[in-house]
Amino acid sequence: MSWARDLIGVAVNGLLARKVRTALLLLGPVIGVAAIVAAVGLTDSAKGDLKRKVDELGTNLIEATAASSFGGQDAKLPKDAVERALTVTTVESVSAVLELQNIVVTPYEEAAENFETVPVPVLAADTVLPLVLDVPMVSGRWLNDFDDGVSSRAAVIGIGLARQFDVLPGEVRSLLLNGIEYSIVGIVDTVELEPAFDTAVFVTFPRAADDFLTDDALDGDVVLANKLYVRSVENREDETAEALKVAVNLGGPNEVQTELKSEALELAAQSDRQLQLIVVSMGLLAIIVGGIGIANVMSISVIQRSTEIGIRRALGHTRGTIAAQFILEAIAVGFFGGLLGVAVGVGAIFIGVAVAGWVFTLQPMLVPLGVVLAMVISVVAGLYPAARAARLEPLETLRLG
Amino acid sequence: MDDTPVSTPAPLLELERVSRLYGHGDAAVAALKEVSLRIMPGDFMSIMGPSGSGKSTMLGLLGCLDVPSTGVIRVGGVDVTELDDDRRSRVRGDRIGFVFQQFHLIPHLDAASNVETALLYRGIRAKDRRARSLAALDQVGLAHRHDHRPVQLSGGEQQRVALARALVTEPSIVLGDEPTGALDSKNAEHVMEIFASLQAPERAIVLVTHDPAVGEAAQRRVRMRDGEIVADERVDAA
Repeated sequence: MSWARDLIGVAVNGLLARKVRTALLLLGPVIGVAAIVAAVGLTDSAKGDLKRKVDELGTNLIEATAASSFGGQDAKLPKDAVERALTVTTVESVSAVLELQNIVVTPYEEAAENFETVPVPVLAADTVLPLVLDVPMVSGRWLNDFDDGVSSRAAVIGIGLARQFDVLPGEVRSLLLNGIEYSIVGIVDTVELEPAFDTAVFVTFPRAADDFLTDDALDGDVVLANKLYVRSVENREDETAEALKVAVNLGGPNEVQTELKSEALELAAQSDRQLQLIVVSMGLLAIIVGGIGIANVMSISVIQRSTEIGIRRALGHTRGTIAAQFILEAIAVGFFGGLLGVAVGVGAIFIGVAVAGWVFTLQPMLVPLGVVLAMVISVVAGLYPAARAARLEPLETLRLG
Repeated sequence: MDDTPVSTPAPLLELERVSRLYGHGDAAVAALKEVSLRIMPGDFMSIMGPSGSGKSTMLGLLGCLDVPSTGVIRVGGVDVTELDDDRRSRVRGDRIGFVFQQFHLIPHLDAASNVETALLYRGIRAKDRRARSLAALDQVGLAHRHDHRPVQLSGGEQQRVALARALVTEPSIVLGDEPTGALDSKNAEHVMEIFASLQAPERAIVLVTHDPAVGEAAQRRVRMRDGEIVADERVDAA
């Protein structure tokens, strides 16, 4: 015990006595561990942000779109598509929309020239779309049964379009769809899973039928939708998506394609894992290069300290204690370099998270892992110089006589 | 008549037909040729000789820093040529104190810590180690400079710290390698006074030197030439 205490004292003294050399030794593990911790932490934090988004938005939103088997442009869903979708037992709610084609949207007559070349999506939507998408209104209200019943020229616009058209929340405004004036009754917030809705205009099905659709788009007096937004029971998304294809189409001429809206976000998270792997590999490379640096600096140090080693040997210190002194110095370099590296890495994560607006995420295991990795690399790097120091003969270094 | 047998004290260190060769085969050079020497308790010995006479080789062997090519070296009756490096190191640490020409203090340690270095790995508590180190520094008149690093001490003071380091383990043999070689005459005189004061019945002091003033301060004078001892004479203290 006392032997170990003496050894620790000698090693610590050795490191503190040569601060520049010690700082050089520390650089390797600090940079390597910091790179690894920052790489894992930053990609985790970015992933944490995506995960939070997915959690907020839900992974159970499915888009079911009509697609023509023959490559037709304007495939439609059957008129009872919503009812058919609801027959799938894992479906919680459904909303239908129809993407209207070739409609020029302008804020008012005088500005028509400035805006008519800007494509703005216009959709006929039912009254439950915000509920299914789980998106709040910024101001006003969504299209309701009254609008449907009287076929009013009421429109809801996305927040992005409101900004483009300088519509203030609560302001009484209208816009022109192919020159027909519609009252803006509400502004809907950003739909994360459907970013195109940010600049879209929503009108009721009956009004769309009256103002823009030909009889081809109707089945009797019912407007045919071309897309459904479906909320399924949690964790049953895949089977719901498959069931919807059959249930909605029911042997009709068109196909139904389904897509999980959160898939894109999850794919983004996956691509981050690849980035993480690359950066972690670079961090590992850095720490290995740092290890080589430690071996170099310590080897030079053995030469520089050969007289000290000779003195210690003359005073009765064994080869084992000399080797142990250098190994212990390497362990200390690894330990403190690892700790410092973790601290620098965590600092980098904090800065990255603050700049990018992510959610700070740090796997707790990274702290001990970083330190242990640095210690292992340092000890391996210190083995050769330690062996070299132990082999030094005092007679060679003390130059007697 | 008194019939009680007079017991001869055992030598502290004994060289028996010791040779040291450097190199191999035809290229081998004998630095020491079948030298025998007994260092007895109370000896104040100088080993003198011209350059190349084998003084340094002798010093390395006396200090257990080297092993002979042939012959036996006994320290306190123990044949150190039979010991492995670790055991020989322990014998060296326990029984021999070194004073070098170039002082060889560890530059980043203060005087007291330099002295303490000789007491490391011996199971001595830090507090006791410090007390013994201060006592040794006191013995050479440097207790008040215990917290000074070598660079803050004069050459004479550094050599006195080295002396304290050699004495702190209470060795039976103190080996000096040209101990005044790097000092001015005043400091050299002071260091030699300390060596003289260290004489004790249970201890031997051996100084390897080519300086006649140092050599003649000793009461036993060994002269070497061409790897052999050519004279070993005792001179009564004045």
